[in-house]
Amino acid sequence: MLKPKKSFFAKLAIFFAILGPGIITGSVDNDAGGITTYSVAGALYGYNLLWTLIPSFIVLIVIQEMNARMGIVTGKGLADLIRENAGVKITFFIFIGLLIADIGNTTTEFAGVAGSMEVFGVSKYISVPVVSFMVWILVVKGTYKVAERIFLIFSVSLLTYVVSALLGHPHWSEIGTAIINPKLEFNTSSIAMIIGIVGTTIAPWMQFYMQSSVIEKGLKMKDFKYTLVDIVVGCVATVLVAFFIIVACASTLHVNGVQINEAKDAAMALKPFAGSFASQIFAFGLFVASVFSATILPLATAFYVCEAFGFEAGIDKKWEEAPEFYVLYTGILIISAAIILIPNAPLISISLGSQVLNGILLPIVLICMILLVNNKKIMGEHVNKPMNNIIGWSAVSILIGLSLLLLVLPFFS
Amino acid sequence: MALTFYLSRTLGIDIYDTHDNFIGKVCDILVEQNPVKTEDNENARPKVTALKLKISKITRYIDFSNVSISKVNGRYEIMCKHVENASDAIINKSLPLVQCILDKQIIDLNGRKLVRVNDVRLATIKQGTYAIAVDVGMEGLLRRIGLSKSLNAILKMFGTTLPSKFILWDEIEAIDFSNLNIRLSTTFTKLNHLHPSDLADIIEDLGKKAKTEVFSSLDDETAADVLEELEPEAQVHILENLSLEKAADVLEKMPAHEVADIMDELEPQKAEELLNEMETESSNDVRELLEYEDDMVGSLMSNEYISFNKRFTVGQALDELRKQKPEDDMLYSILVTDDKERLVATISLRDLVVESPETQLHQIMDVKLITVFDDDKIDSLAEIISKYNMLAIPVIDTASKIQGIVIIDSIVEDLINKGKTNKR
Repeated sequence: MLKPKKSFFAKLAIFFAILGPGIITGSVDNDAGGITTYSVAGALYGYNLLWTLIPSFIVLIVIQEMNARMGIVTGKGLADLIRENAGVKITFFIFIGLLIADIGNTTTEFAGVAGSMEVFGVSKYISVPVVSFMVWILVVKGTYKVAERIFLIFSVSLLTYVVSALLGHPHWSEIGTAIINPKLEFNTSSIAMIIGIVGTTIAPWMQFYMQSSVIEKGLKMKDFKYTLVDIVVGCVATVLVAFFIIVACASTLHVNGVQINEAKDAAMALKPFAGSFASQIFAFGLFVASVFSATILPLATAFYVCEAFGFEAGIDKKWEEAPEFYVLYTGILIISAAIILIPNAPLISISLGSQVLNGILLPIVLICMILLVNNKKIMGEHVNKPMNNIIGWSAVSILIGLSLLLLVLPFFS
Repeated sequence: MALTFYLSRTLGIDIYDTHDNFIGKVCDILVEQNPVKTEDNENARPKVTALKLKISKITRYIDFSNVSISKVNGRYEIMCKHVENASDAIINKSLPLVQCILDKQIIDLNGRKLVRVNDVRLATIKQGTYAIAVDVGMEGLLRRIGLSKSLNAILKMFGTTLPSKFILWDEIEAIDFSNLNIRLSTTFTKLNHLHPSDLADIIEDLGKKAKTEVFSSLDDETAADVLEELEPEAQVHILENLSLEKAADVLEKMPAHEVADIMDELEPQKAEELLNEMETESSNDVRELLEYEDDMVGSLMSNEYISFNKRFTVGQALDELRKQKPEDDMLYSILVTDDKERLVATISLRDLVVESPETQLHQIMDVKLITVFDDDKIDSLAEIISKYNMLAIPVIDTASKIQGIVIIDSIVEDLINKGKTNKR
């Protein structure tokens, strides 16, 4: 006899119970900034930058595994560990950098909100204030946990990029060749693009976010293999979405020589080549991703800054108990939303600037992480295996190498 | 005259002897671990015992009794009259400030929370040099980065200064010893004065190592109260990392129904080990409660209750209570039985106190019984308790034999937990 079918809500409950930090982190990873970078990369370089997703994927898994391991073994946040072991000066530098970069990143999220709603004919002067106020209320009223779950369901809609991509009739054989043997000239703009892709796939603030969600979930070392599965699934989802966004833009915009600057342009530009349905799906995905990250980013940033400097933090605290936390959170939100509302604001320079800052911070945060995770006093028997260190250190050196190359190249051309 | 100075300003200073020979660079200051309260030292401030120095790559500890600190032209100078290595006995009984306090979390006993230390303030008086306070304010943070002076100069123009905040040494407890190679024999005696539920909040916020360390230093009574207040995840972590003996000792001090709740969270094997280690009397009570399903009244009830035969006099009953010294919540509902041990009535503590000692219980007892069965559903409890304004409901089986009582706290806690899971 067949078992009675479980109701939709019962299934949903099981789905949530097994959902882990890796999958959530993976979903937050494809934010407005990411979607923008991937679309521009696809439109400009066609399939030729798809290969960058493979090393990004490997590094992403290695880094998140280290984060999860550190969180489970120590029960301490990454900000705590950096402050306690790297000293106050490095901490100050990292977190002031993180704060500025994240204000820029949040601005990009609001640009995503504004852009995607414009596709549906809603003015940014309505969408941005409404969304930012709702995001603020959500957190201050303490219904954040519920919201996180709802967003997560919606973030499945990111998979609609697969539909968008398929509607553009991509050339699979060309994609294959491009991954194995990319035709790419190395110059300032292509290197900047590569750093952009790596930097948005492995954003520095994600490391902090990942580690605290592992702690919050109360995971144990003996269940680590499940955590690994969770991380791999999250990373695959992240990279898959990135892949299809690049493919969608490459097979329509690049082929027809359309240049874009924003994710919104991609949504608009898809229309004549892939139909208005594809364009709307793209815009909807962008909207959900932007709101999701616009909620989490300011909150996460306020939290790590407070953790590092020893202020009380947490959404379960009242305003009087944790004033620094709420002032920071509100401040980041207001500044970012306000920048978008300034007519003719230099949005592209802001998003570029925050990406460069991300690119500088990433190797520093990674170096701190690798040193911490190799510290026997902190990690005991769970220090890095040689393979983790090889991949970790090579990622750091390549990132630093690329950034230096980006600085040096203009002098030779 | 007293000279006060900050730990951060002394780090990295070169030390010379009287002949201007270089001895080393300061890299840590060690203070007494368990300072004793004396007449000169009313607040039990820890005295500086030794300095940790670095000479190129070699580390060395020197005794502090021959060292003097002075301020010359706004800079600190440290001089050592006679270089003498600090003995291992002194080093092992001392607390290195940089390794255990600076940048670490400590417990602010008055504020009842964790704070991060930005700097340590020390003072030299004629009896010696003491650590007097920790700096947890914004000014301390900026001083470390080297910005406090310039920022303060700017702020002065606006008639304000950087906010600074100090906590005196006797109002803090250092807890993070993860950077030490040797284990300190510290007992966190000051923590026993905190309210268990504040202590539980603090412990939940700590790293994994510190959680177990702080918890195991508490005396059994306090530890039991704290364990009750912790979130299930923290309870499990602590019980899994505590020695079996200590864990069993703590659990014995807790009410059986609380222990049963924790056992449900643990892995069956660990729970069995703990129950075997506990005294049989306590563990049997727990095992009884563990028999019940999660949604049954039996899983929520406490099997520690007070009952008297209805022919007892008020005087006898009160004597018995004085002998048993029951917990507060056991008195919420005092049960009265007949000769066959069946529940027939309840009586309030108020009635026992106001009636004359010769009165027999059946003359004053309340026979309008409201009870539930041990296999009833938990959901029914909240309604009963609010409808009849009760603090505890007696639980019986079908033969009217008493099984226990459900206390209002347990019902409220259950409701809150259910609310939480619905929201999440």
